[in-house]
Amino acid sequence: MIVGIQIVGALFSLFMLYYTFIHYKKKEFTVKESVFWFILWTLFLIVTLFPEILSPVVSTLKLGRTLDLLIILGFMFIIACIIYTYGLVRINQKRLDQIVRKIAFDLEKKRKEK
Amino acid sequence: MKKVFAVIPAMNESRNIGNVIKAVRKHVKNIVVIDDGSSDDTYDVAKAKHVAVLKHIINLGKGAALKTGCEFAIKNNATHMIFIDADMQHDPEEIPNFLKALKKYDMVFGYRKMTKSMPFILRFGNWCINRSTKYLYGLEIYDTTCGYRAITAKAYKKIRWETTGYFVEAEMIANVGKEKISYTQIPIKTIYSDKYKGTTVLDGVKIVINMLMWRLRR
Repeated sequence: MIVGIQIVGALFSLFMLYYTFIHYKKKEFTVKESVFWFILWTLFLIVTLFPEILSPVVSTLKLGRTLDLLIILGFMFIIACIIYTYGLVRINQKRLDQIVRKIAFDLEKKRKEK
Repeated sequence: MKKVFAVIPAMNESRNIGNVIKAVRKHVKNIVVIDDGSSDDTYDVAKAKHVAVLKHIINLGKGAALKTGCEFAIKNNATHMIFIDADMQHDPEEIPNFLKALKKYDMVFGYRKMTKSMPFILRFGNWCINRSTKYLYGLEIYDTTCGYRAITAKAYKKIRWETTGYFVEAEMIANVGKEKISYTQIPIKTIYSDKYKGTTVLDGVKIVINMLMWRLRR
């Protein structure tokens, strides 16, 4: 029998599938990116509706419930995303810094040439 | 041959920048002003004074502005650089003291005397940051947030910072400690204007956290 939390999880994954689709239609996601997210959210939907699929993994890891496994995986995913985003922000900050500095030098050079 | 550059980062300082340039010019011939994305006419006012003016098309922060100025100075064969704020907080009459100290040391830090004219919260914040600097880097810096500083080109190349914002002063100290740059400190007068843009308590906490991060990156 499907319980409340499963309904919430299923609705969430359906919403995320729709969200991915919108991004794909707007060409903000590439085909590869869209396929990755579609697979991820479809898997999430399947696991939400049929959590017993993960029972062998849950028992191997000595966890009490499938939900615990999902929470742990969720945290790991979020931490990975934060570190990845932090790296990207640092890289972009450096690039922005270099671009603005180059423009400043070029403007001053042009002013001198005048 | 010695070639000194005054590096003046400025943001929305059209009221003061003209006077600062005029006062600095008495002591330093080469001046570079970095307009860090001002929305007023700082750029035009500085340009009218016939000095090098570099314009950041967007605001990047004091650290980035100082770095732009230093890179420009280095490109123009600077041997020494002096950093001075554009808001008249620093007295340009003290520039000769910095240049004199630079003869013996690679970096000169100005420090404000902890008098009653300094807001209490700033005194307390400075004390906390100073203790952290001592603990993390073994440096006894009296005023970690003071921007009035001078450096040799040789030392600058060793301590190029990554910070774009106003944590630059702290990163400079961290890098001086890491690279074992010779330094000294001289007292300066500081004028606290009504629109004083000092660091807040939260900024102080961020500075300490950043100092810890830079220490770990070592």
